[in-house]
Amino acid sequence: MELDPKTMRTTKPGIKPVILTLIVPFSFILGFPLLWKSVEIYRSPLPFCGIEAFSSQLDSKPLHFRCQFQAMFLGFNFTASNDVAEAIINKMSLLNPNSSQCGNCGAYEVSVVIDSGTSCMRTENSKAQCPFKCGEEVAFFGGKLSDENVDELLRGCLGNVDGGGNVYSVVVVNGGDKEAEVRAVVGKYRHAWILGGVLEEKALSRVAEIFAKVFMNGRSEGDSIRAKFMPVGADGRIVLSFSLLNAEPRDWIYDWNFREIDEILLQPVIQSLQPIANITVESQVLYHTQKSSFSYWDEVLGSHISSTKDLPFFVDSNEWHLDTSVAAGGRSKVLQLLVYIPSAKECPLQLELPNGDLSNTNGFISRVIHLAFKFSLLNMWGGGVVWNPQSCIKDLESKDPPRHMISTQVFLSLMNCHCLVTRQLNEVSVFHRDSHNVWELDVLSQNHVCLNLYSLFGVSFLKFNSMQVQSLPRMIITDEIGKQVIVNAYWMIFWLETVVYLQVMISLEAAKFAQSNASAGIYDASAVSSRQARALAEDSFFHPSVMSISYYSYWHSVSIYAPYFLLVIKPVILPVLSEWKRYKQENMKFVAWKAKAKVT
Amino acid sequence: MALLSRKGTLFMLFLFSIFLLSASASNGSGEEEEEEFWEELLLKPLPDRKVLSHFHFQNEAPLSDSFARHHHLFPKSIAQLVKKFHIKAMELSFTQGRWNYERWGGFDPISSHNAKPPGVELWAVFDVPPHQVDASWKDLTHALSGLFCASINFLESSTTYSAPKWTFQSALGSLRYGTLPREAVCTENLTPWLKLLPCRDKAGLSALMDRPSIYKSFYHSQRLHLTQAKTGADPKNSRVVLEQTLTVVLQPNILTGGTNYVSEAKMQPSWSLSSIFGRKINVERGLVTQLENLQSSTATFAANGTNLDDFGRNVGFELSVNPDRVLKEVEKSSSILYEYPIKVHKDSEQFDLGITWKHPVIWSTPHAPLYASRFLMGSGNERGAIAICMKSTESTQGLVAANYVDQRCNFQVNVLQIVPWYIKVYYHTLQLFVDEKPQVLTDFVERMRVSPSEDKVSPGLMELVLKLPCEVKSAVLNIEFDKGFLHIDEYPPDANQGFDIPSAIISFPDFNAGLQFSDNSISKTPMLSKLQERSPVISYTEVLLVPLTTPDFSMPYNVITITCTVFALYFGSLLNALRRRVGEEERCLNDKGNTQLFQFLHPKTQVT
Repeated sequence: MELDPKTMRTTKPGIKPVILTLIVPFSFILGFPLLWKSVEIYRSPLPFCGIEAFSSQLDSKPLHFRCQFQAMFLGFNFTASNDVAEAIINKMSLLNPNSSQCGNCGAYEVSVVIDSGTSCMRTENSKAQCPFKCGEEVAFFGGKLSDENVDELLRGCLGNVDGGGNVYSVVVVNGGDKEAEVRAVVGKYRHAWILGGVLEEKALSRVAEIFAKVFMNGRSEGDSIRAKFMPVGADGRIVLSFSLLNAEPRDWIYDWNFREIDEILLQPVIQSLQPIANITVESQVLYHTQKSSFSYWDEVLGSHISSTKDLPFFVDSNEWHLDTSVAAGGRSKVLQLLVYIPSAKECPLQLELPNGDLSNTNGFISRVIHLAFKFSLLNMWGGGVVWNPQSCIKDLESKDPPRHMISTQVFLSLMNCHCLVTRQLNEVSVFHRDSHNVWELDVLSQNHVCLNLYSLFGVSFLKFNSMQVQSLPRMIITDEIGKQVIVNAYWMIFWLETVVYLQVMISLEAAKFAQSNASAGIYDASAVSSRQARALAEDSFFHPSVMSISYYSYWHSVSIYAPYFLLVIKPVILPVLSEWKRYKQENMKFVAWKAKAKVT
Repeated sequence: MALLSRKGTLFMLFLFSIFLLSASASNGSGEEEEEEFWEELLLKPLPDRKVLSHFHFQNEAPLSDSFARHHHLFPKSIAQLVKKFHIKAMELSFTQGRWNYERWGGFDPISSHNAKPPGVELWAVFDVPPHQVDASWKDLTHALSGLFCASINFLESSTTYSAPKWTFQSALGSLRYGTLPREAVCTENLTPWLKLLPCRDKAGLSALMDRPSIYKSFYHSQRLHLTQAKTGADPKNSRVVLEQTLTVVLQPNILTGGTNYVSEAKMQPSWSLSSIFGRKINVERGLVTQLENLQSSTATFAANGTNLDDFGRNVGFELSVNPDRVLKEVEKSSSILYEYPIKVHKDSEQFDLGITWKHPVIWSTPHAPLYASRFLMGSGNERGAIAICMKSTESTQGLVAANYVDQRCNFQVNVLQIVPWYIKVYYHTLQLFVDEKPQVLTDFVERMRVSPSEDKVSPGLMELVLKLPCEVKSAVLNIEFDKGFLHIDEYPPDANQGFDIPSAIISFPDFNAGLQFSDNSISKTPMLSKLQERSPVISYTEVLLVPLTTPDFSMPYNVITITCTVFALYFGSLLNALRRRVGEEERCLNDKGNTQLFQFLHPKTQVT
């Protein structure tokens, strides 16, 4: 048999060299996890599981407020009080099918007192006494006293003071005369009354309507609060920054006594909104604040017209120094509210709405400007109003420009514009009152508790952030941050539990609270707690050390270790490849020889 | 006409003051609370043909309940800073260039208050418990950093600031002081500074601030000084005073015309407002309700006692606008101040004050008692020494002698020297040479406070209170140091340029920088009262540049590469050695003639 040494060999090629060359890269591969571990970035352990578990627990069991409703029928002849209560509940559930949503009165009970004059009936859970102690007075004075006085009278009878337990009452007084006009009034406190000749069936519907529409939903239609813009900062603070902008002080200078305006007009509102937001007010007067957009003269209207489309140019952020960064440190929100005094050259100045009409208030509110400023640096806008001086003629005679004060009355009229902004803030408020209705604040607080804790911020915020952190595996988390997050998470849970506890307390001992003044403010306490919780949730991720977080990217590490691997990889991998190639070749030779040997 | 070349002092001020606005708000008790604002400009010809322009803006607000909330004139951002960080007093300065103490003087209020070290200097006194001072300082540096578009936040690190006790007299324990010598100052720092003025640079004196003129100047320093002034016994009556000053030393464009019989080179350049700044003051109706022009000129002629009237009439210069009031400085240099009420000029639309020199005049400005300079000694990257040299100045020697005729005369000198931690100063090596002779420290050092530096934690601080005899010619302080090593991460960009040692502060508490005017009944504008204020003479030394050992910054990469090369060589040769046997096998297969050798090497292999 002939052997061609170029194509055949008689012995099986040795596997040893292949194995030897393989051992080296293999040991590298074995050592790789060790290296990987040694260059791993440090991440402080975060309570991801805890946050997740807590949030899912809250998701599955939304927070409901226990509300208690009380209906008092004076001069009615119902047969059984329990039937009446049930009928009201049925009607209420028809009127308000969304009661299972967070922030609503998810679990509510209705108690009924029926005082027909001769006999008195009441359900077991009723807090009011039977016979209703001032029923006669109400019945007697109802039509004669002013609404305010009736309100105070009922407040005295029902003992339902500010914040003391949330028992909502409706007193229905049968006027006897079937033809008499029926009046339903919702008072300032947590009660309403219906006077006049009411049929029994009608009375039930009206009572259910007041409970469901007014007391439960705060008079607003639909899914109110969630969909809307809430200008409350993450730390529960809002800074209302008022600026008076004199476009051209050579023509005239306007000034205001904002301290007085603050004390008289704003403080009562701010006080009543205290549980929901910590509002601070500041003001400044600026001079030489020309707008940078052009206006045109309209002969027909006799005024200069500036389009609201030009608002991004109207507000000249380069020249208007509205900065309040120090006061609104952290994540407090600033609402800039402006009063612009045009120069004599541009007086009077009117704002034109996008639809071509002139603005009634001669101002813009944040909804308009919010869109205009979507991409601008000035993102927090309350609104602005152009205030034209009464006489637009510049006094050429006097050497010094005239100085004027903007009086409180003028400011109040200016506030008609700004008020719209404030309405966003409090949804249902009636601004001209010295304070808000108690039941309005109840609804507002409830919604805020929910908003803070569930839907937008709070838990979901923390959850979202922990997810984000988990999704960035190469983010360095120092111990300081880790501790901060853990501490804040526990505090947040503590505050949340306080909220839940307060709610339970309110529902369990509503009667006791209703009578005691000591309970005043407990309702607010839950709103305050929820605010704290949300602030903490955000604090953990807005901690200054998190801001300077270093992200050690994957490609960064590749570029650092590349020289090492690139240099070593050649002498390690190439022998393996060439050895393997050679082995295959030699093996082919052997196979060829074997095949030939078989043939021969 | 004789050419005048007189040795003496010419001190000339042009002071424009604008009482801008006062906004009042009455509180509940009917008490009037006012915010006030003034702006003034001072121009002073310097002996070396330059002009000093000093803008002074003062803003005052009562420290009431509504402070930091409702403001009419006072900048809200500063008010909020004061309230948030409980600032009692604060000074922030941005400086480019170095004040020439020899030529521009060192014994007047301008040089004592407004000659600042290059870069950023910040000190602040806090009204907080001692353990919160550092936290407040850190927050303040960040806030100011954002407010003035500067890297003031680098002062946050405890290695950059310290707490001197004796140099700043207003300090009451909670003062912090820090400097950034390398901070570049430019228009981005000036714009936010101007924003604090009610009219920014739209109206008033600040409209003169022509950016190219300012930034091509020899020296410019913008300063923000904040104090709380008590107006009565009741602490509630105190007011917050915000002073903003911009000091610029400019070379005026020479106005043509004037004398033809004296060579132009010897003449002081004639100038006007428009030739310095390229702009004129618009005396417009507007916020400017009063514009006063104060002009003062001071001359002391020691040589031949020419009286001042003669000087005004016959010698020197001519002004384009006639002065209205004249004030005399009595104590230091018998100066004269001419004052112009600008109400007269109100009708004319533009006000352009100019000075035309008629004859060459040579004079010098008053110097600080000792002229201080600082330099480095030694060579190499290992060790060196810092020397602070203080030389007596002629003009003050006479003053000292006059003040202390009988008794043995001494005067106090305070020295503050702060060194970064990587300059490891050996405080025991401190030597003092008085009149070039080594002296025992205890003979001259009255008090000494040293806080040694701690590596990567705090800078070293040395405060000395020296008592030097009046007849001293020179005093040299000498201290040795070792240069430290920094971690590779701690080197700044361009580390080979060297590291800055902040200016030392030399102050003379026995000397009063303030001017005394003869007529005390004059209505005082804020700047005038500032000029008259009693304050110690302060001067700053140069910033030193110390070259430190810098590593080869590519070293880590080189190490990795070399290590990897060694690894590669090792593994390469190892595997080659292992594989070579295979090669031999092949060779043996090919080389049939060498069968014996092959069998010797591979006894078990059969070759067919």
